[in-house]
Amino acid sequence: MSIKGDATRHRPFVWCTFRAMIPPRFHREIEMRANLPLFLAIATLAATPAFSAQTVTTPPCTPTLGSGAAADVATAVAALRTMLTQDQLAAFERPLDLHSAIQWSNLPDGIVKRTTLRMGNLEPKQAAAARQVMETALSACGLAMLDEIRLADDFLERVDSRHIGWTSANYFIAVLGNPGGKTPWILQFGGHHLAYNFTFNGRLPGATPMFLGTEPIRFEMKGAMHEPLPVQSTAMSRLAIAIAPHPEAKLSGTFTDVVKGVVMKVEPGQMPTGGTDTGFPQSYPAGKNDRGIEVGALTKEQRALVRAAIDSFATLPGAKIAAALRTAYESPEAFNQTYVGYAGSPDLSTLGSYVRIDGPRVWMELVVQKAVASPAELHYHALWRDKQSDYGGETGQ
Amino acid sequence: MIRASFIASALLLTAVAFAHPAPSSILKLEFQAGRVNAEYWVPVSELEFARAADAGGDFPAYLLRHIGAETSTGTRWLMKLGSVRETTYLDHPYLVTQLTFSPPAGAAPRDFVLIDDAVTHEVRNHVVYVVENRGPDSALLGALQYPARRLAITERQ
Repeated sequence: MSIKGDATRHRPFVWCTFRAMIPPRFHREIEMRANLPLFLAIATLAATPAFSAQTVTTPPCTPTLGSGAAADVATAVAALRTMLTQDQLAAFERPLDLHSAIQWSNLPDGIVKRTTLRMGNLEPKQAAAARQVMETALSACGLAMLDEIRLADDFLERVDSRHIGWTSANYFIAVLGNPGGKTPWILQFGGHHLAYNFTFNGRLPGATPMFLGTEPIRFEMKGAMHEPLPVQSTAMSRLAIAIAPHPEAKLSGTFTDVVKGVVMKVEPGQMPTGGTDTGFPQSYPAGKNDRGIEVGALTKEQRALVRAAIDSFATLPGAKIAAALRTAYESPEAFNQTYVGYAGSPDLSTLGSYVRIDGPRVWMELVVQKAVASPAELHYHALWRDKQSDYGGETGQ
Repeated sequence: MIRASFIASALLLTAVAFAHPAPSSILKLEFQAGRVNAEYWVPVSELEFARAADAGGDFPAYLLRHIGAETSTGTRWLMKLGSVRETTYLDHPYLVTQLTFSPPAGAAPRDFVLIDDAVTHEVRNHVVYVVENRGPDSALLGALQYPARRLAITERQ
């Protein structure tokens, strides 16, 4: 196994004014990072989406497979239920309330403990039934991404010296409420770098919050190359490259993670807390300032790239789950009032690169972070929220 | 049992650092008679980005530009900077600064508006947690993330 094509080109430091503030033991490490231009130039080139497309064997993503229809998914859930023990049912079935809904995270299970039904504890028949639930709920793209993201955690498991829980076994499934064809309920599937939260029969159609991430960005395992987020990263990068000539498209500030994600509260003298969606409901930017460029001001070709970027997220759930959302986001009025912006490198080749779609309802962001297992490399975090229908509007928005 | 618990806690703390590349800031407030003492923990990695965007002056001058307190009607409190020390917390280098906020004459010493954008004026995802410190106990008073830079503070009863 090996990681290929990922590297960090660190942003310039205003180092001289800061050096005196930092303990000397950190100087050498930071200065070494800043003196790798040749290596980084080569590695950064190899890490661009255009190059990745030539090296990765991820199958083309087509938005078919599960319907996402509430009744179909509920039928698959019922089949899984019959195979579970009482203890497993207690983990699998949760009340439909805010507390249960926000229990997703982009931190590993060793950091933010999940308590729902752990995939790694299932018997093969149970695991197959759980997979059938997700096959019914997801498009082929969504299912392929689920598999690839879990595989990336298996890739990291061999370097999990601190026991933070990187493994595909630490992915969890649950239903909130009573699955069926009429009353509201939520299907949750998630782990370290994935959070699917699909609301059925909700006040509003709900496919969000959806968190996607991958570390490494691409990797080789058992002779095959894998890249969990090629569609999303390529679509967001192409959009950023297209809008970069517009000065107003560049967002101010620095991004070291997604903006509307989960945050862990770490306080000296106390145990860390949080790491779940405690920031819900979120507040969002208003007005026109520093939100990027309005889609209404873009060319036909650029607008097509915005649609492609939206669809790269919105086609992950089954069509029945996301169809209404796609219609809402891409209706002429909403679409023209949507802002798209970027920061850092539009080709996502550098730490802190960031792309965002910010519409009347849609909020999609992708950021390039420092990798955790190999800090000289990069990894992606991406988030899709809906300003009205996170959790289907069922939890107090 | 206590030892096992301590070891488990220590392992969790190192794991949190390992899995957490974008650390938060913490502002710990301690209400005293006639003033509020504060300890401000800011991660160097995130502060670097903020200082790159506003590099003027030394660190104390920088903090005076970005942190403060005022009454609800806008009268500024006096802020004094104490010691600044370097430490490592959860594997991240942090700067820890002692601050003292004193209200203007006649103002209630327990109610004020805290102002802080020392990192958040630049780092869009950065969160500052503001907690009240009472010995081993603490309580979350609020959090700041861009564009928010003001937080109404009232001592909990």
